[in-house]
Amino acid sequence: MKKQTPLGRLLSIYSVLFFIFLYAPVILIVIYSFNSNPINIMIWDGFTLDWYRSVFGLETSLADSSSYIDSTDQLLNALLNSLIVAGSATIIATFLGTSTAVALARYRFKLHSFYRLLLFVPMVMPDIVLGIALLIFFVGAGFTLGNSTIIIGHCTFLTSYVFIVVSARLAGMNPLTESASADLGANEWQTFRRVTLPLILPGVIGGALLSFIISMDDLVITYFISGVDSTTLPVFILGMIRRGIKPEINAIATLMLLFSVVIASAGIYFKSKNTSTP
Amino acid sequence: MKSLSISRKQLMLVALLAPTSLFLLVFFVGPMLIMLTYSFLEPGLYGGVEWHFYHWNYGRVLGWADGFYEEFDTVYLEILLRSVGLAVATVLCTLCICYPVAFWVSTLSAKKKALCIFLMTLPFFASMVVRLYAWVLILRNSGFANQFLEATGLITEPLNLMFSGTAVIIGMVYIFIPFMFLPIYSSVEKLDKNLLQASEDLGATPFTTFRKVIFPLTLPGIVAGCILVFIPSLGNFVVPNILGGAKVLMIGNMIEQQFLYARNWPFGATLSMIIIFMMMIILSIYLYKSAKKQAAL
Repeated sequence: MKKQTPLGRLLSIYSVLFFIFLYAPVILIVIYSFNSNPINIMIWDGFTLDWYRSVFGLETSLADSSSYIDSTDQLLNALLNSLIVAGSATIIATFLGTSTAVALARYRFKLHSFYRLLLFVPMVMPDIVLGIALLIFFVGAGFTLGNSTIIIGHCTFLTSYVFIVVSARLAGMNPLTESASADLGANEWQTFRRVTLPLILPGVIGGALLSFIISMDDLVITYFISGVDSTTLPVFILGMIRRGIKPEINAIATLMLLFSVVIASAGIYFKSKNTSTP
Repeated sequence: MKSLSISRKQLMLVALLAPTSLFLLVFFVGPMLIMLTYSFLEPGLYGGVEWHFYHWNYGRVLGWADGFYEEFDTVYLEILLRSVGLAVATVLCTLCICYPVAFWVSTLSAKKKALCIFLMTLPFFASMVVRLYAWVLILRNSGFANQFLEATGLITEPLNLMFSGTAVIIGMVYIFIPFMFLPIYSSVEKLDKNLLQASEDLGATPFTTFRKVIFPLTLPGIVAGCILVFIPSLGNFVVPNILGGAKVLMIGNMIEQQFLYARNWPFGATLSMIIIFMMMIILSIYLYKSAKKQAAL
């Protein structure tokens, strides 16, 4: 298994190629988002920030004909919808997932395995199936498709993710701290509020961050249950890609990647804090 | 005092579970049951449904027509089989790509290992549409791949790389690689390297060591990875939508068409149910096998 052997060297080269395969396509987008060639966006023509300016609706040096974004308002509206949906869904799912995780970790009752199943299934359910089921349900029950239906739809599976993350945190916790709190005269609520919650907080924050990311990125479920004017960012970008490749998409994609990296770093920072405090 | 504390405990339990129970029963279990019901209803002439039992939806998938308006046609069966084929191809590609890398990562120093794991998890956070869009830039006719090949003189005319089964497989492999890598890596990490030494000392060739020691011990990771990649690949509709075009329809695209264009909701619900059935079969075999293994230990 040492690197000196020819096989080991081959393996190293292969693995490095693997990571290049993983990152090169994404890096390509970032590089070409600064390309000033408006006709063929894959032929390098010079450095420009015009696509970014165009995305933000600023004045550019582009001729009017080469400016492609239909309207910056639509893009900003989609971004705003995404943030509203992800924010609300995260709050609700964090609340639901955490309470269920605490209940399952701290109480013994008959329906234990039923609840485990109930929270496992939404996570493995292919998203198109869940999207379709929700669409039939919302239309049948007379909901107007819009931000509220997207929020509900996202919560059905985000709850499971929060549940998993918080459960892992609870499993690594010493249950005696809670018994001690009870022995000292605290009631259930006080124990939860003063002992359990502070201890599981890193898990709760981690679960919330994960939910936020997944919700911001969800395409398939949102695609089916979003209304006419409740397009989220991924759905908007899918529409743009299908209408044709425009240089502005590179700029939007780069901004989204930047956003993801920031959130991911925050998540990993919390995770490292999570493990360093036993 | 005791009864009071029990009832308070129960109250707390109810308070903790009630919101989630209510929410998931109404917005998850409910919709699933409604979809199951829809798959047995007759589609209305102008969209909507007729509320009586109708089993032709399932027959239609297999090619049997309703006997009045339709003839025997295997188009849906073909699309179903194509979806399974593309999903299997995706699973095999990701497996072959990830397996050696998992071994390489496990030989690195702790710091480099952490970096590699970070690099593997980062794509989870990046938007899926953006990652697929990258492949549109690479594969389309005036894209990066064609320009590169033309520049090297390998081709004179751009190849049609987009809108093919290969493009769909590349796209799915690219977005599902972390799902395969992480479970395999965790089982490779657990593999006791002394066993490899022992096997070698006992005279086994590297191939025998792989077949008799490495492969069986990493099998749980392989199986988990395969399931995690197969299920989302099977029902995928985004990748064929972006990279496959109209030529490479998968079951997911068919479901979309039934709902958004053909307005045949019962048939779309039936197709969704078929995905669920296939998923349930795979998961129950998996759970059954792992339960049997646990019992054997």
